[in-house]
This record gives sequence, structure tokens and C-alpha cells, in this order.
Amino acid sequence: MLFPLTVALYAASAVLAAMAGWYAWRDRLIDDRVLLVAGLLEVGLLVQAVVVLVSVGDVGGGGAEKATYAAYGLTLPFVPPAVAFLAIKEKTRWAMGVVAAGAFAVAIMTGRLQQIWDLHV
Amino acid sequence: MSEERVSTRSGPGVVLVAVYAVMALAATGRSVLQITEYFSRAPVAYLLSALAAVIYIVATVALARGSRTSWRVALAAILIELVGVLVIGLVSYLVPEAFPDKTVWSHFGSGYGYVPLVLPVLGLLWLRRTRTTAQRR
Repeated sequence: MLFPLTVALYAASAVLAAMAGWYAWRDRLIDDRVLLVAGLLEVGLLVQAVVVLVSVGDVGGGGAEKATYAAYGLTLPFVPPAVAFLAIKEKTRWAMGVVAAGAFAVAIMTGRLQQIWDLHV
Repeated sequence: MSEERVSTRSGPGVVLVAVYAVMALAATGRSVLQITEYFSRAPVAYLLSALAAVIYIVATVALARGSRTSWRVALAAILIELVGVLVIGLVSYLVPEAFPDKTVWSHFGSGYGYVPLVLPVLGLLWLRRTRTTAQRR
């Protein structure tokens, strides 16, 4: 996995989680700024999905690792849109809890991708 | 005078639905892999993995629907989930050779940051909060 891309994705999901926490604290609903950060994260995840598709052949360590690598890489881009959809529908501060949970999941799954890459390439 | 209706999918429930969806995804992915790649290694553990995946999917859908019937379905699914994580968690420590490979529920879900252990408790608390309104309807 491209290490700079992983770092950028960590940073974007951390910013998104922090914003979500701040918005929840101030009892603010989702707005364009949150969507902009989520959008940037989404662009990064789409780039990552392409990188994963190109590099999946290089992953050693058996079919299971390969499949996990591909599955995580291709599932991740669906997280921000799903989270944004739920957050827009929910008109309480809990909407931001969903955004924070989604950002957290993105960070963990991206970490797992990097881990598979480090171990098997 | 109309009473405010608390659905299982509103407020904190929407966060719960999101986390359940992630767990459903993770558990399904893992069990599909385990069963297709190396089923013979530990059939019982992998079938339990698959059961866990199904329970998470059912709980996610039931919580997200937020109707009266789905409240009961969610209760049943989350109770099975709690029993499952406790029993499998305990057995995986007492009889480690029965679990050569990790499942979502083994070691009380330590591989998933103990989310599988905490989630059913939060789920049951949330169902209790939403019970009266759900039952009345």
C-alpha cells in the first residue's frame, strides 16, 4: 500500500472524527464543511481502491489475505456516502456520532490494508 | 396530545445501526473467507462465525426498521449475540484448541477491540429505552 496515501487517509478520517465530535458538542447538524471533508476522504478512498485493484496480485500469504485486501479496499469507498446519508436523515446531534463512527471504521480498515501490505509484499 | 415516538432507528439508535452494519460486514467477510478458504481446519468454529454474521445482519436490519415487530426480532438477535459472545469467549479461553483460528466472538471479541462484547449491552439498553413506545403501538 502507498504509505503516504495511508497517512493522508488517517489524517482525513481524524479530521472528520474531530469535526463530528465538535459538531455534536455544539449540537450542530451536518453541513457543507463536514460534507467537504467527507468528500475529500472519499476521493482518497477511491484512489486507494484503484491502487488496491492494481496491486492485489502482489499480495502473498495465501488467498485469504488477498481476498481481505481486495474486499477492504473496495468496501471502504462506500462508507463515507452511507454515513453522510444516515447523518443527513438524522436531525439530532446523534447524526455526528454516525459520522465519527464511520471515520473511525475507515481509519481501522485502512490500517488493516497497510498491515496486509507490510506483511505480505 | 400526541406522544413523541422513539423508534429504534432515531437518536442514539442511528449510531447503533451504523456500528452494527460495520460488524455485520466484518463478520460476514470473515466467515465467507474462513468457510471458502479453509473450512476443514475448524468446521465448528467457522460455522459459529457464520452464525455470528447472520445474527449481526438480522440485528442491523431489525434496528434499522424500527417497527414493533422488528423491536422483538432485534431483542432476540441481540440476546443470542450476548450469549454467543459470552459462551464463545469463555470456551476460547478454556479450550483454546477448539479455536485454532480467531472468530468474531472468540476471546470476547478482543480482535475487534471488544466491540462484540460491548455492542449487545448497548443494544439491550437501547431496546429498553425504546420499549414502552414500541410496545404501545
